Amino acid sequence: MSVILECKSLTKKFGSTTALFNVNLSLERGKIIGLLGPNGSGKTTLIKIINGLLVPDTGSIKIAGMNPGVESKKIVSYLPEKTYLPDWMKVSEAISFFKDFYGDFEEKRAYDMLHRLNLDPTKRLKTLSKGTKEKVQLILVMSRRANLYCLDEPIGGVDPAARDYILNTIITNYDENATVIISTHLIADIENVLDEVVFIKEGSLVLHAPVDEIREKEGKSIDSLFREVFRC
Amino acid sequence: MLAKLTKHELYATGRIFLPLYSIMLLLSLINRGFSSIGELSSPFKTLKGFMVAAYVISIVATLVITFVIIILRFYKNLMSDEGYLMFTLPVKPSQLINAKLIVSFLWNILSIFVVATSLFIILGTSKNLEMFRGLLDLAVTGLKSTFGSSYPILIAEYIIMIFVGTIYQILMIYVSIAIGHLLNEHKVIGSFAAYIAINTIIQMLVSIIVLIWTNLELSIFTYTPYYGTTETITGNNVNYSVSIVQAITKQIIPFSIIFSVLCCVAFYLVTNYIFKKKLNLN
Amino acid sequence: MQWELNTEKPVYLQLVEQIQAKIISGIYKPGDKLPSVRDLAAQAMVNPNTMQRAMTELERDGLVYTNRTAGRFITSDEELIKQLKTEYIAAIVQDFLDKMKQLGLGSDEIISYLNIIIENKK
Repeated sequence: MSVILECKSLTKKFGSTTALFNVNLSLERGKIIGLLGPNGSGKTTLIKIINGLLVPDTGSIKIAGMNPGVESKKIVSYLPEKTYLPDWMKVSEAISFFKDFYGDFEEKRAYDMLHRLNLDPTKRLKTLSKGTKEKVQLILVMSRRANLYCLDEPIGGVDPAARDYILNTIITNYDENATVIISTHLIADIENVLDEVVFIKEGSLVLHAPVDEIREKEGKSIDSLFREVFRC
Repeated sequence: MLAKLTKHELYATGRIFLPLYSIMLLLSLINRGFSSIGELSSPFKTLKGFMVAAYVISIVATLVITFVIIILRFYKNLMSDEGYLMFTLPVKPSQLINAKLIVSFLWNILSIFVVATSLFIILGTSKNLEMFRGLLDLAVTGLKSTFGSSYPILIAEYIIMIFVGTIYQILMIYVSIAIGHLLNEHKVIGSFAAYIAINTIIQMLVSIIVLIWTNLELSIFTYTPYYGTTETITGNNVNYSVSIVQAITKQIIPFSIIFSVLCCVAFYLVTNYIFKKKLNLN
Repeated sequence: MQWELNTEKPVYLQLVEQIQAKIISGIYKPGDKLPSVRDLAAQAMVNPNTMQRAMTELERDGLVYTNRTAGRFITSDEELIKQLKTEYIAAIVQDFLDKMKQLGLGSDEIISYLNIIIENKK
C-alpha cells in the first residue's frame, strides 16, 4: 500500500495538558517529510506514538495498516533525540545488537559508514564525544532497510559539517518504498531536502503540503512561512 | 526473541557479576592459603588479617551487590534513556520482563552457590568435613523422626519455597519500579513508596489470613499424618504433637508457596500492564 | 561542483536552471554522462524525488536524454544548446536592462557604463 502512516483523530493528554488534539494525517511512501513546530508543540509525542512508546487516548494510528506493536516495530526505525545506547557497549557490540534484533539491519552498510567517518568500532560508547555518539546512532538507524524512519531532531546542536553529513546520509539512503520523517525546529537547513512539510501547532495539525507547492503559491521559503504561522 | 533478550541480558549483567564472584572466590582461596600456612611473622600477620576482613566484606558485598544490581539493571535498562532502545525493539513488553526475571533469578541462585562454595573452600578441612557429615546425619535423623520417611518431600517443598521466594522478591522490585514510573515527577521516590506500601499490604493480608485460619475450628489438629506413617514413638500424645508439626508444616509451606505464587502473578500482570498501556519515558 | 540553491523558489525549478547553466557554460559538455539521480541529489543536498522531477523537465526540453541501459546523458544537439544559451543570456540581459531602467538610465548611458566598467576590468 502506498500509505505508510495513517492517523485519525489522534488525541493524547498528559493530565491537564493536551499534547495532541484530533490529528488527522496521512503520509505516503517514498517521501521525506518535515515535521515542523516549536518545542512542546506535540512533535515528539506524535513520534513516540508512532513508535509504540505512548498509547493515544483516542483515535487510531496505523503504520502500513498495522497498529503499533511488535510487527510495526520491525519496519519502523527510530532515532530519538537522546543517546539511548548503553554506555558500556563498544560500537561493534551495538552493531551486533541491532543485527540480532532487526532483520532489516545491514551490517556492511553500517561498517562502511563507520569507516568513512574514521570511527573505531572497538571503542566503547562512553569514550566518544556526544557528537560522535549521535553519529553512531544515526548510522545504526539508517543502516536498517525500514519502511518508516523517524528522526527526532537529528540536526539540533550539531556543527554544520556534521549536519551536512547527516543530510547526505539521509539522501543517499533514500528508498522509494520508505518514508523519512524528520522532526525539527531548524527549518532553513533542511527545507531543500524535504518533499512535504507538516506544521504542528499546540498539538494540532495546521498544515500539510508539498514544499514546492508552498514555494510556488506563497513565493517564500518554508522557513519564512513557519515564522509567520508560529509568530509569538 | 526472548532467547536473544536473555542472552543480551546475561552478557550485560555478567560483565559485573562474573568479576565480582571471581574476586570473592579468589579471596576465599587466598584466605584458605593463609590459614594453611600457620603461624606467621609480623607483616604477614597484618596481611592475613586484612585478607580475612576483605573476605568477610566480599561475602556481604556479593549478596548485597547482587540485590542492588538487579534493581539498578531493571531501572536503567528499561526506565531511563536505554528504555527508548528496549521498548522500540520488536518484542513484547512481557518478553522484556521475562528476560530480566530469568537472568536475575539465575544470578540470585548463583550468588548463593558462590557463597556456599567459598565457605567450603575456607572451611573444607577433613576435620571440618567429618564434623559437617556428623551434623548432616543428625539433621536427617531428626527429620526422619519428626516427619517420617517421606521427609525428602519436605525438603523439596522448602527448596521450591526458596525459589518462589526469590522470584517473589524480584517481581516485587519490578512492580514497585513500574508503579513509581507512573508518576510524572519523583519517580524513584514513588518506587520506594510503592515497595513499602506493597510490603505492608501483604503483611497485613497475611496476618488477616492467619487470624482467620487459626480461629476457624478447622480440625487440622486431628489430621492423619500426611507424609505417610509416623514412626510410632510412645502413646497417643506424641502422635498428636507429631501430627501438629506435620499438619502445620503441610499447610504452612504449601500455603506460603501458593500465596507467593499468587502475589508473583499479580506483580507480573501489573508490571506488564503498566508497560503495555502506561509507558511514559522521558 | 557547486550548487547554489535558495529557499524561496521551488527546488526543482532551481535545479533545472542550475543544470541548464552548467550545460551552457560547458561544465556539462554535450554527450557527457550524468551521475545517477541519487548521486546528483546528494551533491546538491536535495531530495532524490526533486532531482528526478528536474531531470524529467530537462528530458522534456530535450536537453537530457536517457539511454535505458547506459544511463542519462547531456544532449549532443549543439544547436539546441546554443539556443538555450541565447535564451538564457537574453533573460539575464533583460533583467539587467529592467534594473537599469528602474535607476532611470537610458540605453546610451547603459552602453557607456558597460564600456567603462569592462575597460577598467582589463
